[in-house]
Amino acid sequence: MAKSIVSAKKLRKVYGDKETVKGISFDVAEGEVFGILGPNGAGKTTTLEMLEAIRPIDGGEAILDGINVADDPEAVKQVIGVQPQTAAFQDKQKLTEIIEMFAAAYGERVNPVEFLKDVQLDEHANSYAETLSGGQKQRLSIAAAIVHSPKVFFMDEPTTGLDPQARRNLWELIQLIQSKGVTVIMTTHYMEEAELLCDRVAIMDDGKIIAMDTPKQLIKDLLKKGFKKHEEVQQANLEDVFIDLTGKALRD
Amino acid sequence: MQVPNDSLSNPLSLKKKLFTVVVFTKLSTKRFFRDRLALFFTILFPLIFLFVFGALAGKSSTSVTFDVAIVNEANTALAKQYVKEADSSKFLKIDPTISSLSAAKNKMVSGQLDATLVLPSNFGTVGSNKIPTGQLQVYYTENDASAGQTLIAVLQSQLQDTSAKYVKISAPLTVASDELNQKSLTEFDYTFSGLLGFSIVGLGIFGPVNVFPELKKQGILRRLHTTPIRVWQYFTATMASQAIIGLISLAVMFIVAVSVFNLKIVGNYLEIIVFLIFSIIMILGIGLAIGGWAKNERQAAPLSNIVVFPMLFLSGTFFPRYAMPIWLQHVTNYLPLTPVIDGVRLLATAGDNLTQLGPQLALMAGWTIVIYAIAFRVFKWE
Repeated sequence: MAKSIVSAKKLRKVYGDKETVKGISFDVAEGEVFGILGPNGAGKTTTLEMLEAIRPIDGGEAILDGINVADDPEAVKQVIGVQPQTAAFQDKQKLTEIIEMFAAAYGERVNPVEFLKDVQLDEHANSYAETLSGGQKQRLSIAAAIVHSPKVFFMDEPTTGLDPQARRNLWELIQLIQSKGVTVIMTTHYMEEAELLCDRVAIMDDGKIIAMDTPKQLIKDLLKKGFKKHEEVQQANLEDVFIDLTGKALRD
Repeated sequence: MQVPNDSLSNPLSLKKKLFTVVVFTKLSTKRFFRDRLALFFTILFPLIFLFVFGALAGKSSTSVTFDVAIVNEANTALAKQYVKEADSSKFLKIDPTISSLSAAKNKMVSGQLDATLVLPSNFGTVGSNKIPTGQLQVYYTENDASAGQTLIAVLQSQLQDTSAKYVKISAPLTVASDELNQKSLTEFDYTFSGLLGFSIVGLGIFGPVNVFPELKKQGILRRLHTTPIRVWQYFTATMASQAIIGLISLAVMFIVAVSVFNLKIVGNYLEIIVFLIFSIIMILGIGLAIGGWAKNERQAAPLSNIVVFPMLFLSGTFFPRYAMPIWLQHVTNYLPLTPVIDGVRLLATAGDNLTQLGPQLALMAGWTIVIYAIAFRVFKWE
């Protein structure tokens, strides 16, 4: 494995008497897309929030780009980009201003239109954020999260609630970000998304990591155990039909 | 994708942190002026109050007038002349609908009339010495006793002047009066400084109290928290932006007060501006503390009402504090809004300098420290 950029050791989070994250450990290599999968309430978002330095770490430690997250949250925040579960922006603010604002939060001055171009929103540069569709807002949110060229990019369920076209477009965007050498840590409920995008995945349940490997290896392991799908494997699924009929072009 | 050249792994320099504040200030001020609802509540709403209270204060402060009815039972020339003169009098407002004492009594009981003047049938009859005599009868109710006494005194001195035309009287004791050139504060001066205070409260407290919980609900503050921005940067940007907006809103009030209600500004404008900025920042701290602490509107609304309404009423916003009992004045002296309202009045209309406002400025500085210490401590990003 390449040099590790994120390293979590026995990470714990306790709310009251409920332990949400129960001492999990994992390493993410530089340039990797790392997926955290799991049902609701498994502790995925809390894990991300601890690594993002916005939630106190109750036990264990996290090292990000050589920085101890608990010791120097501000330094961590300078090297990470965060896309929250729901993209929300203040009303009456132009897209260019939102990019300008997030760049300013890092003390940077950027050309907003270039960042909007990267996510195909340059046509809407002077619109207000509230006029955008869900997929457009997610793309704007990504653009806002990479204004400072982060080394690690956190995405919390980035495609939840998007239509198939917007989702595919977002996948391409994530691959583009990875190709720039940015490490991506994402959570998702969609297995095909994880299979396509993630170099490795950790499956969480009840605050613990119960499996961690490449998607291929995890499938192999399952097959080794003698698992067989009941129905015949089809060469296409309903989503393929949908995309074939409606096209891949973005609808927003 | 664009890649900024400089490394970001070093902590941000102070210059960059201030750049953050400047950009946030600029953008939030811009955003404010696009928001019609916010504009209405910050600029138009206080103006409506200014017109209402200004009209009320103007009415009662121009001169003393009595609402009276005149019942003339006499048919003499003198009585007719008296009614005519009373009609053109500045201090009598005569109700023309009343012609009998019983009708007048009804209106006095309901509080619409202060008193009734009755000219009895023998008023102005000429006696053997060719001099007309008569006795003016004044009726007033128990509640209007003081107004009645004042009215009687005024009428008496008027009748004395009239009598002097017929009989030469040389009074041994007289009163000499002289109008001083010095201007005293009018009721509108108090009203105006109170309304400025009201406007600052609306902007500084209700602004953040309404906005912050909404930003938290949408996760906008949480998203900002994932960037290196610090609470002090966010607060400073909010302060600067609110100060700009506040000064514009207050300037509009000054313009209306001067042009419509003849407010005389005798103070130094620069000092007034400095004082208003300080006031806005202090009061904004209360809004930042409540809005920053509250997780949602359900927490923010009741707390802000508990803090704001007593302060509005007790600090002389809607009526001057000199109308309160002394003990209450002593207590309300120390509320954060009191030195703001007193200070504005002293600076703008009483002609004091900032250097004469030591007690007010000291109290405000104390409150500012306390308020911001709390605001920083209780602030939550989500």
